[in-house]
Amino acid sequence: MTTAGRGALSGRRILELADASGAYAGKLFADMGADVVKIEPPGGDPARRVPPFWRGEAGDELSFAFLYANTSKRGITLDVTRPAGRELFASLARNADVVVETLPPGRLDELGIGYDALRIENPRLVLTSITPFGQTGPQRGDRGSDLVASALGGALYVTGEADDPPVVLAGSQAHLSACSFAAIASLVALRHASRSGAGQHVDISAQEAMTSVTHICGVGKWLDDGIVPKRRGSGLFASVPSGAYPCRDGLVYLMVNRPQHWKALAEWIHEETGNEEVLDPQFEGPSSRRQECRELIDFFVCELTQRFAASEVYHEGQRRHIAFTPVSTASDVARDPQLAAREFFVSLEHPSGGRLQYPGAPYRLERTPWALRHPAPRVGEHNRDVYVDELGLSEARLGRLRDDGVV
Amino acid sequence: MASSEAEVEAAPQALRGLRVLEFSSGMAGPWIGRLMAYCGADVIKVESRRRPSVVRLYVSPQAPERGIQPTLSPWFTDWDAGKRFVALDLTRPEAVALARRLVAVSDVVIENNSTGVMEKLGLGYDELVQVRPDLVYFGSSGYGDTGPCRNYVTWGPNIEAISGLATLSGFPERPCTFTQFAYPDALSALHGLFAVLCALDHRSRTGEGQRISLSQFEATVGALGPLLMQQLAHGEDPARLGNASLHAAPQGCYPCRGEDRWCAIQVDDDAAAGRLFDVIGRPAWRTDARFASLAGRLEHRATLDEALAAWTRERDAYDVMRTLQHAGIAAGVVQTAEDEWRHDRQLAARGFFESIEHLAKGRVLAAGIPLGLTGTPGRTGRAGAAIGQDHDAVFGELLGMSPEEIRSAVRAGAIEAPDG
Repeated sequence: MTTAGRGALSGRRILELADASGAYAGKLFADMGADVVKIEPPGGDPARRVPPFWRGEAGDELSFAFLYANTSKRGITLDVTRPAGRELFASLARNADVVVETLPPGRLDELGIGYDALRIENPRLVLTSITPFGQTGPQRGDRGSDLVASALGGALYVTGEADDPPVVLAGSQAHLSACSFAAIASLVALRHASRSGAGQHVDISAQEAMTSVTHICGVGKWLDDGIVPKRRGSGLFASVPSGAYPCRDGLVYLMVNRPQHWKALAEWIHEETGNEEVLDPQFEGPSSRRQECRELIDFFVCELTQRFAASEVYHEGQRRHIAFTPVSTASDVARDPQLAAREFFVSLEHPSGGRLQYPGAPYRLERTPWALRHPAPRVGEHNRDVYVDELGLSEARLGRLRDDGVV
Repeated sequence: MASSEAEVEAAPQALRGLRVLEFSSGMAGPWIGRLMAYCGADVIKVESRRRPSVVRLYVSPQAPERGIQPTLSPWFTDWDAGKRFVALDLTRPEAVALARRLVAVSDVVIENNSTGVMEKLGLGYDELVQVRPDLVYFGSSGYGDTGPCRNYVTWGPNIEAISGLATLSGFPERPCTFTQFAYPDALSALHGLFAVLCALDHRSRTGEGQRISLSQFEATVGALGPLLMQQLAHGEDPARLGNASLHAAPQGCYPCRGEDRWCAIQVDDDAAAGRLFDVIGRPAWRTDARFASLAGRLEHRATLDEALAAWTRERDAYDVMRTLQHAGIAAGVVQTAEDEWRHDRQLAARGFFESIEHLAKGRVLAAGIPLGLTGTPGRTGRAGAAIGQDHDAVFGELLGMSPEEIRSAVRAGAIEAPDG
């Protein structure tokens, strides 16, 4: 357990009724200091049993994805499909700033705990729904997944090699993008609620989230130039040169966009290889000037990079203000000196024994530090805290609810 | 979501009353301002001719002979629409003084210059907090503002490379896989905006501003969280799975009728697998020991993939999606930008794409901003602003400078003369 200062969101209360597609939104709030209460069905969130696992086999509840997405939260169990469960959910929502949920569109309304019902008791409430396709439209009831949202949202078609099938990014990026939009929209809505007294329903679609983060290849560009972006390996269409280039011992990534970066690269190529042609003024200027002779430029770059180890190209290139970076594996990232110098990875003691390392946050807030406050909760770990200490239920009542399978 | 234009115009905007000053170029910084402007904030972007944003360096592939067209880039719309634009030569002290006067009337500063640039200009947090004590100051850079590589130059795809995203993604036989959409830029902008909003929430309750710094490298490593945890705990690199999964089968991207047409399909449980077998004409597989359980389907994945591909290959990708969705199976066409606009009934029904007034082109279309704010819907004011488009409004109305004062600052070179 870390002793962290007050986070930026300390005092904010978030209720999370979310599966793996929405848990990251709760993590964003919780690591910033909000009190996030995660509601799992009795027996625990099925996401706990999704491989790969830190230890043991399925059932041991040590899924890496679950452990990562649920840090700093409190955990309770509740079956919201039962009448007593609905009542408890409504009581919890009465004191919440934001409810984050991932049930199919319309399901909360069917249960009598949709936005229109909850706002009566808590008009400032922000209800944030994260679903594959959103709350409206002909496909609102369709089945989704990270892969499906990435396909429809345009990411797959422009990822990978031209001759391969389209391919998805590792790490559930459609869910992560949807959760990021959800967290942002929730805070925007919360600001409005604080000033106006009126909450609102936030309707996040994973498909739209992906369509938005891929917009550099999207409709605006296509309607403008009529060129449908395709996957094309490592180089970016609009940047010449760009891509992964071979070194003596691996690959290095290069991207040139600004005219002065091209000049610096051309000078280095000339110095190292004696190539005079690369200094030709016809290549100078924005990338569009080099678009026609992309293959030739790639050849020039390879002549340079193949002479060195990837780390040499990286650091000498950067010394010359050229955007070279290594193509790192996960183990390279784990040992990366820049991340180490910034103490990016943080570790937490886990209640089942042993320490586990986590990636930290990308942002540093000077006055209200981000922190992993504690590991993901065990199933129902905070039932007593929440139901007895905060909602005022008797121990006996909690026992009966447990016996009835409501919590 | 499908509100009429008049309703949207009349609705309140959640970030109205907030002013944001941007010293940024590229995408990771500017997209934050774009989203805030969409929610009603007054976002003023400070530009310089010395260092134009890469999106201003646009040469149309349709008409390269016209050269650089600084207002026409579709990416300029995507990343910068809805803002106001001023141009200052910040190497001049008079320009820095004007920038500080703008800071004094702003709530948030966003910058993504190389580490140390703002301090050298006299616009670092420590100076700006003197003129605006509750300022939220957000700086974004490739590697963060500390550490041995803090001055290194990067673009979004560089971060795909160094973060591990490129080597963790893709098919096992490929060493690395890259996107064409510079994903780390969008990812960094979203996390940056979240942090800014958190700091504003803290400020609204305490009156305190603060400095925030973001590393795009770390934002992308964080997006690979569980995979990195696996490496850190077990000391081995997670396998590249392509479109496959450790906990669902069949799952993948299957070829459909036509050139480079595909449908993504994911079968999550035994029940969905049974429905799939019926649809593709293999009802006997429901009771086949090889396919009845997830473990069996994972083991015999290749057989399933082959049978499924044989079925999809004969069909149109949209028919595959609709047929499978009708049977309760997750499926989605691998859409191109053209498909998103021409064929996607869901995006159309939700009014996802936004038609934005463009100062040079009339109206343009852009991908929507999917914040889903049903009570305070966002909107984008205007696209295609020229360099220095809003000098009169910003220096005149906002700072109270007289036309003569503005002209004299232009003559002195502090305010750069507007285009057009």
